Amino acid sequence: MTATELAGFAGLYEASAAARATEPRWLRELRDGAFSSLNELGLPTARDEDWRFTPLKPVTSQAWVLPGKADVSSAEIAPFLFGVAGPLLVLVDGRFEPRLSRLGGLPAGVRVEPLSAVIAGDPAAHEHVGRYADHHSRAFLALNAALFADGALVRLEPGARLAEPLHVLHVSTGGGALCCPRLTIELGEQAELSLLESYAGVGAGARLVNAVTEQVLARGAQLRHIRLLRETEQGVFLGWQEVRIERDAMLASHSLALGAHFARAETSAMLRGEGASCDLKGLVLARGRQHMDHQLLVDHVRPRCTSRQLYRSVVDERARSVFAGRIVVRPGAIGTDASQQNNNLLLSDDARVDTKPQLEIYADDVKCSHGATSGRLDPAALFFLRSRGLDVPSARSLLTYAFANDVVESAPVPQVRAALEQLVRAHFAGVLGE
Amino acid sequence: MSKLLEIKDLHVAVNGTEIVHGISLAVNAGEVHAIMGTNGSGKSTLTKAIAGHPDYQITSGDILLHGKSILKLEPEERAREGVFLAFQYPVEVPGVSNLYFLRTALNAMRKHRGQPEASGAEFLALVKEKAKLVEMDQALLNRSVNEGFSGGEKKRNEIFQMTVLEPVLGLLDESDSGLDIDALRIVAQGVNAMRSPSRSFVLVTHYQRLLDHIQPDYVHVLMDGRIVKSGRKELALELEQKGYAWIEQGAGSR
Repeated sequence: MTATELAGFAGLYEASAAARATEPRWLRELRDGAFSSLNELGLPTARDEDWRFTPLKPVTSQAWVLPGKADVSSAEIAPFLFGVAGPLLVLVDGRFEPRLSRLGGLPAGVRVEPLSAVIAGDPAAHEHVGRYADHHSRAFLALNAALFADGALVRLEPGARLAEPLHVLHVSTGGGALCCPRLTIELGEQAELSLLESYAGVGAGARLVNAVTEQVLARGAQLRHIRLLRETEQGVFLGWQEVRIERDAMLASHSLALGAHFARAETSAMLRGEGASCDLKGLVLARGRQHMDHQLLVDHVRPRCTSRQLYRSVVDERARSVFAGRIVVRPGAIGTDASQQNNNLLLSDDARVDTKPQLEIYADDVKCSHGATSGRLDPAALFFLRSRGLDVPSARSLLTYAFANDVVESAPVPQVRAALEQLVRAHFAGVLGE
Repeated sequence: MSKLLEIKDLHVAVNGTEIVHGISLAVNAGEVHAIMGTNGSGKSTLTKAIAGHPDYQITSGDILLHGKSILKLEPEERAREGVFLAFQYPVEVPGVSNLYFLRTALNAMRKHRGQPEASGAEFLALVKEKAKLVEMDQALLNRSVNEGFSGGEKKRNEIFQMTVLEPVLGLLDESDSGLDIDALRIVAQGVNAMRSPSRSFVLVTHYQRLLDHIQPDYVHVLMDGRIVKSGRKELALELEQKGYAWIEQGAGSR
């Protein structure tokens, strides 16, 4: 990385000085610390093993600006809602938009608040902000901590639950803006939440969304989570998902990457209590010159935890999908049951997939499996469908949809399953004709 | 009677190797023809060539359906013209439900014939009726095509698809292999119910026992990619008693 690349971000930090000046001292210190970590770390380069397949050019080749005031209408966000009745928190270019949000009538023990309000009004805010994901060891986490304007803090007291899914929708409006939303979810013991986390793009021009999501599950808590990426063709997305799962708690988290010119989504899940489980699934639908990169780490710290990873990608035209999945089983984590599957479907000669499974096992008596496949549509199945009267585009579309649907049909938030299936179908209608 | 299927001196190659060396066959509307032969005699190749499998190249000869050559038609176009192949080894299609797939197929056929698409209710009624005919478990209909089906269930599913799509020409490629006697009876039941003066069948089989349940009008014996003997249904019985070696000795006597 070069000094000039960092200089752009340094300029933005300077530009945010006035806004920072009014913030509480703990936050100013946190931001200064993060910014100096960013300077020390520099941006990743192709020499970093984790970034070998994902050149950072889309991030570094552009001079980003801090977002201005953008007006987004409810009609503009309508296509990104699912018609679900639950609470809705909308962030526009990283900033809470009360006009589009719907946060009334939450049950007892459930708090959904914009981060800016928590920081301004809650003397204990520092106990929740910047506490989980380490913004000193990774450049884009540091950048987010230094520059985030707003976000959401969701707190469920022990035993609390929300019947309908909560939707946190981030809308970027373009114009070369860098947005750094933060979303922190804290579930008390036995609390239960269904969460939709969407990143949508409207308007013209490039945008860089550098998002951080923290999910902290106390004993016995359950989080069902879907992250949906529907950025524009000029959207650059960097996402970090930090997960901590305590004893007997459960996370089911699906990532659907449909839109964005470039996306790098990293998940780091730590199974910190006996009997904890996580089920991570993902679907990448990439075409054109899209680049989609998913990096997963599942860390089995305690005994008898279960983890599943199933990531699928459908890559067409000149697009590229990268998957790296790492399972770590720490000493003493006996009875671990971990599996990882990555299946890739290549629809064109120029499509490319890089897949890298990694297992690090330091305990005995564990069950770990992994597998990766990359290939084309099964010719026997294609002929079968054609012999039943389906033309080639329909047959290809049906088989491709079926491959993708394995992930969608098990989406952990059943209220939106039909809508997601519709989205995936619509995607293939565009790609494959018919 | 009009010729529904006519095969003229057909030569078929796979990967540049000729497997079928000049077969001629005429099937009139309403007839059932059985093609018997040992493994590797070219039986399956013949049915796949008629269905238009891209791996099977027709090097010379012609295939006519209702007097018109279908050689230039894609497999899906042949299907829409009424050709149906019941596969020897039905493929599993994970993630595609039987019903969804079948409705897509049926509507493709209907569109081709200028008929309106089947409504949801109409389709379900049709499926229910046909499933009953081949004693197909309703639960299987909602599952992915052939995924986790037993061998018998897969074969039955092929026949089920045929009864729904109502082709004019049914090509059954060893639909009897691997079936117990009950499954065999059910497969035959499906075919017999579909027999009509305007529909023909070509049954490819190794054994005579399917022909106990479906009475063929003609039997042809295939050997090394050629029809070496043709006759009425009694030929199948004779073959069963005397074995293929009996033909081999007198090969060429037609």
